[in-house]
Amino acid sequence: MSWEIAVERAINNNVPRVYKILKEHPYILDLAKELREAKLKVLENLDYYVDKTLDSVKRAGGHGYLASTPEEAREIVGKIVGKGKTVVMGKSMVAYEAGIREFLIRQGNEVWETDLGEFLIQLANQPPSHIIAPAIHLTKEEVEKLLKEKIGGVHEGSTHEELVARVRQFLREKFVNADVGITGANAVASDTGTIALIENEGNIRFSSISPAMHIAITGVDKIVPTLADATKEVLVQSAFAGLYPPTYVNFTSGPSSTADIEMKRVSPAHGPKEFHLILLDNGRIKASKDPVLREALLCIRCGRCHLHCPVYRALGVKWGDPPFTGPMGAMWSYVVYNDPKPAMYCAHSGNCKEVCPMKINIPKVLEYIKWKGNKQKA
Amino acid sequence: MNDLKTLRDVLVENLERNMMPFPVDKGICTGWTRDLPRSGETIIYTSCMYQLAPLFPIFNRFLPYLSALKSLTPLASKLKPSEAQLNRAYNVLRKISNALTAKGIKLAYLYDDEPYSGALLLELGFLDEFQEYAKKVYERFKERGVKRIITVDPHTHHALTRYSEFFSFDVEVVNYIELVEAKEGDGNVYTIHDSCLYSRFLNLRDKFREKIKVKLVEDEMVTGKDTSFCCGGPLAPVDFKASEEVAKARAKSLSKLSKNLLVQCPICYVTLSPHFEGEVKDVAEVIL
Repeated sequence: MSWEIAVERAINNNVPRVYKILKEHPYILDLAKELREAKLKVLENLDYYVDKTLDSVKRAGGHGYLASTPEEAREIVGKIVGKGKTVVMGKSMVAYEAGIREFLIRQGNEVWETDLGEFLIQLANQPPSHIIAPAIHLTKEEVEKLLKEKIGGVHEGSTHEELVARVRQFLREKFVNADVGITGANAVASDTGTIALIENEGNIRFSSISPAMHIAITGVDKIVPTLADATKEVLVQSAFAGLYPPTYVNFTSGPSSTADIEMKRVSPAHGPKEFHLILLDNGRIKASKDPVLREALLCIRCGRCHLHCPVYRALGVKWGDPPFTGPMGAMWSYVVYNDPKPAMYCAHSGNCKEVCPMKINIPKVLEYIKWKGNKQKA
Repeated sequence: MNDLKTLRDVLVENLERNMMPFPVDKGICTGWTRDLPRSGETIIYTSCMYQLAPLFPIFNRFLPYLSALKSLTPLASKLKPSEAQLNRAYNVLRKISNALTAKGIKLAYLYDDEPYSGALLLELGFLDEFQEYAKKVYERFKERGVKRIITVDPHTHHALTRYSEFFSFDVEVVNYIELVEAKEGDGNVYTIHDSCLYSRFLNLRDKFREKIKVKLVEDEMVTGKDTSFCCGGPLAPVDFKASEEVAKARAKSLSKLSKNLLVQCPICYVTLSPHFEGEVKDVAEVIL
């Protein structure tokens, strides 16, 4: 019953807001069209763009890696971070996919998710139920109970604002003392090696600036040709997520630097001394070579399809392999985990294709995955 | 999730045997008319959807046990919808048929030779089997000299419009709503549940809106083009419980708008009816 209440509230809060944003800022639709073309260009030649991106990261003073599997990603992160560190994580579903948080904890680090939703599900020891709103399944009342049990400092009948304030107070010290910040990336510009991140909480800015080391982990599907395309991706993503304008847009190209003495650019300055970008493959490059599955890789993770899907509305986190839930998750469960079962639950309602900013014909992709799954069984 | 491999085997076996998805008494399919000619260039094509839809919930409850009880599937031919259910389905088909005839369309009907469209194979992702079976359906149409097919439900219409993706299909497919003259309503106020396929795959949402002359209670968050949810019916062969959860949620939001509900599809009718707090009618029952 609590899922029904929580998702109903989320739909009623979010869906009209997205309509309003798109009406007030119609240029977003033009940017979305351009972004689709830019992303397709990369996906049609992904190997080339991966190499180009890693070269660009190096030129910007950072370290770039391609991890074929989650195991490889964990190994790379493990070597960079080491043991006994305090790690703050901005929201990264790819980090979840690769099991980074649990791995670092097992390796002897103190690790805190700092996105509010991620923090809540870390406390609750639950999987994310939505690609950008991981705690969408929790009602305010449940959040209050959870915080009371795990960190204290909230009273019965707390307001949304009071609950957020308590988490802010708790995490502030973690940000200040963190040795490593780990984020995802909404887009990666192959021409400059720049990662683009949008957020509203400020936790990503904290996580990527305050610690001496910044590690970004994301999928190879997030590569776009240029920094201009990366800008489009973050604007489109935030608009279709109903969070426009985004409170913060972060661009990071290598470690911090300054050119204030004789205009000579030196590094580091106030921000991180090291910047690492890990690009995870985990089935994406193979999918990019399949003309139908390639469409799935266009997804920019706005999470809009979830809130228009009757099956997600009914089943929530039970539909898909977390973090990949909902219609996009049914595609991605196959791309990443080779699991065709979530696709079988597509009732071809078609709302998802109507609202997708990348115009992905999600029911068509899912029909194809059903076919592949049926052939596997046969 | 149900054992779809066994379901596939049952479907293919029955389609090969009698061009129906499961053993059925064909008299149920054909009982709605005796007046239409058996051959002609233009046919009304029911795919036996309205007639058999009342049995779908029974089949769907049986599917989780299909692997163990596969040998019992021939007994399905003994199942019959109730007299009231059958009369209602026949009434819908007669109204559509009469409305088409009234427009001067010379309709034929294939009676016992009318094959199932293969929609279920398509929707479950058995695309190879769908392609093979659809070719047989096409051959049947060609043998009978059919040049134009008038569909009456969205699943059949959708399946036929997909044939050309798999092979060369040169038969015209049109839906009844594109052809009929609608009457004024019955004076009642309704809300509406659009068929997902008509609305978002077949571009017929506006055509239905244009023909429905009764007063509709709409809410952008419930009946909007990209907010209106599925009835859950297409999910039933995969997971009946999940299908019911979708159906309950959909019926609940529609019940808040009106106690009278219009649907456009026989599957939506049988799926939503048990959960909707009020009366459900097919659009053909009201506007024809």
